[in-house]
Amino acid sequence: MAELVGVYAASHGPMIVRNREKLTPAENESLDSAFTELGRRIKAARPDALIIISPDHWVNFFIDNLPAICVGVGEVHDGPPEPWFKAFPHRTLAGHPPLAEHVVRTALERDFEPSVSYRLKLDHGFCIPLWKAGLDPLPAVVPVVLNDIEPPFPSVKRCYAWGALLAEAVASFPGKLRVGILATGGLSHSIGEPDMGRIDEAFDRECLRQFESGNPSALLGFLGERLHGAGNGASEVRNWVAAHGAARGRGFELIRYDPIPNVYVGCGFASWNLG
Amino acid sequence: MRDYWLSKLFFDLQDPPLADAYRADRKSVLARYPLKAEVRAAVEADDVAALYRLVNPYLLRFYFLMAGMPEEEFLRRIRATGATDTKRAARG
Repeated sequence: MAELVGVYAASHGPMIVRNREKLTPAENESLDSAFTELGRRIKAARPDALIIISPDHWVNFFIDNLPAICVGVGEVHDGPPEPWFKAFPHRTLAGHPPLAEHVVRTALERDFEPSVSYRLKLDHGFCIPLWKAGLDPLPAVVPVVLNDIEPPFPSVKRCYAWGALLAEAVASFPGKLRVGILATGGLSHSIGEPDMGRIDEAFDRECLRQFESGNPSALLGFLGERLHGAGNGASEVRNWVAAHGAARGRGFELIRYDPIPNVYVGCGFASWNLG
Repeated sequence: MRDYWLSKLFFDLQDPPLADAYRADRKSVLARYPLKAEVRAAVEADDVAALYRLVNPYLLRFYFLMAGMPEEEFLRRIRATGATDTKRAARG
């Protein structure tokens, strides 16, 4: 049987890469050390495959066909198409079809109906954390696109259930495989909105406290009240909620939180202790 | 509610060759999209506030970056659209 060996979360703001030369040395150091620690933890867990939960920033999907959840089941996925992210060293990333197909089958048996893609373009949401965490060679990836970008959004309750389902699929996968889950995005930020650049540090700190508390119903209640007020980008906390569900809502450990104005994002990094 | 063809234009402009063509000759690219007259006028006028109401905010931000508006100018204009928009929470 497969084993869930680690659950992680990391911000993925494009400015981490695009704006690197304009960030202060202290800001770059903060981000670099957070990603390095994240990478250290992932490498120590030795995952053969990494399920990555991220939004699609208008790279694969458009408003004529916009899935709430899409699982990448292909053998190969494409690297980031963003012109400013050519430094990413992989033009393609290997998928893990058996695990991905098992996730989809398990989902359908449990009344989730994700869409399926045989070839996804993995944008900065997927690839900035992989790159900055220094994962090379990369584990096989099972990309999960969760719509945090264009409303209507899946409810946080449903995202939590989706994460629990991912853990269930990993546990029931018939094969010897070490699997990690990485959620990307968040915390508070606002893009293309009148409050663009605003970071809601109070929200972020309370949100992190809720993750640490290990009380899922309190977390979901808090997010139900406050998530919509923390900027449109904060919607990506849904991915963290899925990770929390995969970890059964326990053992959250913050690696770093740093609200960085030049990145526009309340940057957060965390791992869940599964023991 | 999104304006479909405006959204489609912004989405398509993520293709670098089309972006180059657009920067070189905006009108010829716009002619391929059946935009409503008032929407086309807003595009031609770089009217951030008008376009903000019609398109996903990430696509809006991408578009003006692609079109060459300096970041500080975009921030000034988007912030001037009024932070009291009560519907912004549903805008993604």
